[in-house]
Amino acid sequence: MNVGDTRELTVPVTRSRVVRYSGASTDFNEIHFSDRHARAIGLPGVVAHGMWTMGAGLRVVTDWVGDPARVLSYFVRFTRPVVVPDTDEGTEVVYTATVASIEDGVAKLTITATCGDEAVLGAAKAEVRVA
Amino acid sequence: MPISSEHAGRRYPASAPYEVSRAKIAEFAAALGDDNPAYSGDQPVAPPTFAAIIAAQAWEALFGDAELGLALHRTMHGDQQFDFHRPLVPGDQVVAQLGIERVRNRGNLDMVTIVVELTVEGEPVCSARSTLIHTREEAA
Repeated sequence: MNVGDTRELTVPVTRSRVVRYSGASTDFNEIHFSDRHARAIGLPGVVAHGMWTMGAGLRVVTDWVGDPARVLSYFVRFTRPVVVPDTDEGTEVVYTATVASIEDGVAKLTITATCGDEAVLGAAKAEVRVA
Repeated sequence: MPISSEHAGRRYPASAPYEVSRAKIAEFAAALGDDNPAYSGDQPVAPPTFAAIIAAQAWEALFGDAELGLALHRTMHGDQQFDFHRPLVPGDQVVAQLGIERVRNRGNLDMVTIVVELTVEGEPVCSARSTLIHTREEAA
């Protein structure tokens, strides 16, 4: 891992996966399974959990460093929800991670997440122990 | 009285312990679609953001504090920070304690920064800091 190195990861997400995350996380907000509830608050339809979008994205970092125990910190701003259509394909989120600096055995990475043409996370960053 | 900067510094009693299980780790990793071998096998660790399950349960103390007048259904999650001290592993009895770090009011919006400290046997394992954006109910 060197400053400027970058990795990309595409993570598919379907309604089935969103329901699975509701159960796993115990976040049963109706906007994550009911179009009716999602539309009532102005969303186009069911959206993925922000915490799913955050959690799934960290894989671009953990696949890179191997051991998830190396992750020291992780920050994201939730900018837009990931809208998940009721189709077999669902949608996908494309994550990138870029090494911004390495100092004292700790790499700082900047992370982006886009769905379609839109950024779904902002100012995302992680710190990992590399030595 | 709605929530204001006067409430910064308020801390709530620690939660009852949450026991991390192998089954829940597997379920959570599957929901993320992450097959990293570290999350399965004989000595699994939890995916780092597993901590959010336990932190979010501690939010009940905040929304249950009648003095603040916060409603979960009018709240959006603005940002999230985790500082990890060590991975969670099966058998960990995790205690969560929520504190209000900062409150800013802008019009009918309250921006509330909370920190949930997760500990196992008194040792810190993770700190989860969230900014919540709460919309006050319009006066009728």
